[in-house]
Amino acid sequence: MILYLGRRLLGAAGILLAICAITFTIFYLLPADPAVAACGKTCSPERVAEVKVAMGLDKPVWEQFATYVTGIFAGRDYGSGPSATHCGFPCLGYSYEYSLPVWDLLTDRLPVSVSLAIGAAVLWLLLGLGAGVTSALRKGGVTDKTLMVLSVGAASLPVYFTSIMLIWGVVRTAGLLPYPAYHNFTDNPVEWASNLLLPWVALALLYAAMYARQSRNSMIEAMAEPYIRTARAKGLPAGTVAVKHGLRAGMTPILTIFGMDLGGLLAGAVITESIFGLPGVGRLFYDALVRSDQPVILGVTLLAAAFIVAANLLVDLLYAYVDPRVRY
Amino acid sequence: MSTTTEPVAAPVAAAGPAKAAGRGPWRLVWDQLWARGSARFGLITVALLLLLTALAGPLSALGGWSPEEFDKRAVDPYLGGLPIGDFGGVGTRHWLGVEPATGRDLFARVLHGGQVSLLIAFTATAVVVVTGTLTGIAAGYFGGRTDAVLSRLMDLTMSFPSLIFMISMMSVAKDVNRILLMTLVIGLFGWPGIARVVRGQTLSLKHREYVEAAKVGGARSWRILTREILPNVSGPVIAYMTLLVPGMIATEAALSYLGVGVRPPTPSWGQMIAESISFYETDPTYFLIPTGFLFLAVLAFTLLGDALRDILDPRGGRS
Amino acid sequence: MTRRTHAALAAALAATLTLGLGACKNDKSDSGGDSAAAGRTQAPGAASGTIVGGTPVKGGTLTVLSNQDFAHLDPARNWTMPNMDFGIRLLYRTLVTFKAEPGAAGSEIVPDLATDLGRSSDGGKTWTFTLKDGVKYEDGTPIKAADVKYNVERSFAADLTGGPDYAQQYLAGGENYKGPLNGEHLASIETPDDRTVVFHLKRPVAEFSYTATLPTFAPVPQSQDKGTQYDLRPFSSGPYKIETYDRGKQLVLVRNTNWDQSTDTVRKAYPDKIVVVQGLKGGQVDDRIIASEGADASAVEWANLRPESIPKVLPKPDVKSRLIAEQQGCTDMLYPNTSKAPFDDPKVREALTYAVDRDAQVTAYGGPAMADVATSYLPPALTGGTKQDTLKIAPTGDPEKAKQLLKEAGKTDLKVSLTVSSGDKTRAEALQQSLAKVGIQVTITTADPSVYYDTVGDTKNAPDLAILGWCPDYPSGATFLPMVFDGRTIKEKGNQGNVEQFRDQATSDRIDQINAMSDVGEANKAWLQLGDDLLKKAPTVPMLWQRRPLLAGTNVAGAFGHPVWTGQWDFATIGLKDPAKSQG
Repeated sequence: MILYLGRRLLGAAGILLAICAITFTIFYLLPADPAVAACGKTCSPERVAEVKVAMGLDKPVWEQFATYVTGIFAGRDYGSGPSATHCGFPCLGYSYEYSLPVWDLLTDRLPVSVSLAIGAAVLWLLLGLGAGVTSALRKGGVTDKTLMVLSVGAASLPVYFTSIMLIWGVVRTAGLLPYPAYHNFTDNPVEWASNLLLPWVALALLYAAMYARQSRNSMIEAMAEPYIRTARAKGLPAGTVAVKHGLRAGMTPILTIFGMDLGGLLAGAVITESIFGLPGVGRLFYDALVRSDQPVILGVTLLAAAFIVAANLLVDLLYAYVDPRVRY
Repeated sequence: MSTTTEPVAAPVAAAGPAKAAGRGPWRLVWDQLWARGSARFGLITVALLLLLTALAGPLSALGGWSPEEFDKRAVDPYLGGLPIGDFGGVGTRHWLGVEPATGRDLFARVLHGGQVSLLIAFTATAVVVVTGTLTGIAAGYFGGRTDAVLSRLMDLTMSFPSLIFMISMMSVAKDVNRILLMTLVIGLFGWPGIARVVRGQTLSLKHREYVEAAKVGGARSWRILTREILPNVSGPVIAYMTLLVPGMIATEAALSYLGVGVRPPTPSWGQMIAESISFYETDPTYFLIPTGFLFLAVLAFTLLGDALRDILDPRGGRS
Repeated sequence: MTRRTHAALAAALAATLTLGLGACKNDKSDSGGDSAAAGRTQAPGAASGTIVGGTPVKGGTLTVLSNQDFAHLDPARNWTMPNMDFGIRLLYRTLVTFKAEPGAAGSEIVPDLATDLGRSSDGGKTWTFTLKDGVKYEDGTPIKAADVKYNVERSFAADLTGGPDYAQQYLAGGENYKGPLNGEHLASIETPDDRTVVFHLKRPVAEFSYTATLPTFAPVPQSQDKGTQYDLRPFSSGPYKIETYDRGKQLVLVRNTNWDQSTDTVRKAYPDKIVVVQGLKGGQVDDRIIASEGADASAVEWANLRPESIPKVLPKPDVKSRLIAEQQGCTDMLYPNTSKAPFDDPKVREALTYAVDRDAQVTAYGGPAMADVATSYLPPALTGGTKQDTLKIAPTGDPEKAKQLLKEAGKTDLKVSLTVSSGDKTRAEALQQSLAKVGIQVTITTADPSVYYDTVGDTKNAPDLAILGWCPDYPSGATFLPMVFDGRTIKEKGNQGNVEQFRDQATSDRIDQINAMSDVGEANKAWLQLGDDLLKKAPTVPMLWQRRPLLAGTNVAGAFGHPVWTGQWDFATIGLKDPAKSQG
């Protein structure tokens, strides 16, 4: 087990390093010169050169990459003289645009994205699994058919449409909720939740519909397994069988998908954050992209990859716990 | 696969219905599909969409407008270019109304936009399916080091934050064919899913009697792969492929929505949604038209794909 | 100021992804008169000089709803409009500043930190300013002349990017100076005592008083300097200080109790608190201010009203009365590449001037509520408030005359390339249509705002046509014509002013002559004449004078657009009608 964990952790680190290298190379090829962009309007070539040195952009790409990677662990210093600043572990560089360490920006925006992802995930698991299991247990019935028609429909609705309709209906017309804005959970949980409710619903609807279909299928498959039939034949109540055996077996495939979905969302739902105007990591990423703020782009990409890798790792470990058939 | 005008054959065409030996089973699939109400709806809608978008040119000519032609008379410049008339200027002059400010014909634009969106979705799917099937078969059949390397590559690709990465790549590349680039970028991140399915299938097929028999009979790997393995994984692959299309359409829309997709003046559904979303109150028709088409396309392909999966791959196909 | 257009565009794009509005012609575009007839108005959304809400009362919280963050608040780096307005009016004082008045009066300067507009000697090469008595920072320490010198020196530092470079252009010995961060100081700025600062310039600069309005000439005490980090929390010398600043999310300003109203003739500082909420969606900001519910009644918007919100504003008199649409004071132009065929031929460029349908450009930009047709290079703010129109071409263009000129030049069936920033997509399409009428075929390429200036500013690979704007830094032809038309300013890469690559000896000579004039009034007249003369050589085609349509909530008072800072709210005088209502 320890050995397995070690191997997996090493693999995860390798994957992150590879992603880091690929992202770095791509952005090195970016046509925009950040030094020119930062310099101002009537900037002379000599000054551009000075700015380049100040930003560390005069070195070859591999050297910049090496500095970047070691900086993540060991931290690095920026500038010289009185304006020098130390960027401590984990140093993902300095944002050109905000003159702040990328790590600080990420940790500042992360609560928004995490709140959005976790809240939506809870909602879609409840809705999706609820509908899926209900459907599976009433396979072929009216409830099943209605739920499945609804979920196919909801899964096909563009998120732009649902989001805008929610804003229009709930905020603009009914005036029930404010325009979504982020409030810290610790400051005021009620305000936090009521502001995030619409984005949660918009995001959750899409996923819930997919999860309903997935969980229905895997439940039906699981319920057709011989051991379940045996359990039923033994006269155990249908509900107990469904919950104790069917659900457990049927949920394993869902777990994999859930790990990937949540991992992908934690580092920012670019479109949802953009439509609702939430200042999360996705929004940070998009702003950085428009302004060629490369350190931020790189930082967000790495963070997102780290979440996905971590989620996969966690899911694999959970598997071992849930499903005794999994061996190392 | 492209925007073929042969609508009914679209999802099955890749497998070649003309193959003499394949005629029977495909006929069976067709009958089963047609028997299901939801699949029938999916089929007809897909057929209609393909027909409409394939004939975008002639159809918009019939309406009298090309997708890039301005109509100054259709909008009121003093209200920020709001279309004149009810429902965003719907009428005999413009069948689905016009774009605010430019007065461009929405009927012509939504059809041409569909052409682009579906073309990208289909070619990206084709890229994914071809790459995924090939790597899946290779990994499953050859095993050993090949499998190890390919599986690591799958892990790596799946760990990429794909949307974020696609956006970055689209914004980096400037002077290239946007449609081609978008196809490749979307395709780049989709293949591991199908590769895993195919790998699993191949692993189980590898040890079946007839494959072993062929091996003992001295058949070469190439022959075994093309004659024995490939035909047997094609069922799940086709089902998976149809289910991939809606995701591809949605991804194209997302990229264009974020402004890194097709370059103007080319329309696409995502680009049209991006431009119209802020008009949802002042000109709802403008927003609802591309959104509606996107919804229909995704819905139809999902229904069709669901049915195909149930028929061709009743178990598995989900990893 | 091209960088402003760039940054603003980038931010607008970031927030909304689209600026597109289409092109259609109409018979009238630019006329005074404020006649609103049942949802149709022929005039700008609001006349220049409109003040919303009467006189404010002291107190309350003013909210600013924004879709973006400030590019820079560090006074050595703040050179983007309208961020300069925000910094100068609220956080720091400069030696000289502009009056807080709408319309032409706003372009007049008054002493701010200094006791007068500066005294020149040595034929305009030496400028002396004396600081007022009793001016203090937020911690109560007095503002010293050395602090003004220190911030001017900071504007030379390579780490502190983005700021105005006038100090580098004007100050003697500035060529090799690298900023004060390594302990070096600039000899050409003298501070004989704590209240006197003397600037020695390379050449006479008649309007140096205007230069001294730039944030470069705000004080920064060396003890508070944190290099690039200073951007996050400038040390206040103005009426407000930063309480919290969460970049991209929220900035909260509270009163600087050490600021003394009696030393300041410009800033009124009505609200007790100013909250800037950032990163909102543009359309939502419009909707919230239109509705004006609760705290939104005491809010103003930071970024322009979105074109799609116009139908929610203009037909409703109660909402329309809360709209301002001040001229931005910039000129938006079509830049032909004059370094190569076909636009190296002045005849072809002249044809271009006649071919462009500027009315269609207005519509494509959002209609008459958002822009006027431009008829000269220098915007009205630089021509004494009156519109110059020497060529008298119809707003919709004169295709016949253009065709005739092209025929005379012997050029027909031209194929040219046009590169625009992605936000100007619809305008490019409108341009494509109007040039097609005279037989010029245009291929459009769009570039991300982030790389647009790199693309069009690369002299070797520049496209045949480009759309850009230039905003003067203060109302003087000296901050416009030399930047855009002097061939000596062309740089091989990163070329931003003279993007058309216009090299004309006569023009350069004339620029030098006017720069050497010591009488500001005479110089202004000369700039005006030069602008008209240049129009005949057609190095670029003036297209739009853009406006800045902004909405205020129902509880906002004393709100008008300041002509110098591209029509942004003048934060010196803005306040609330009823402070009690702002807490909702």
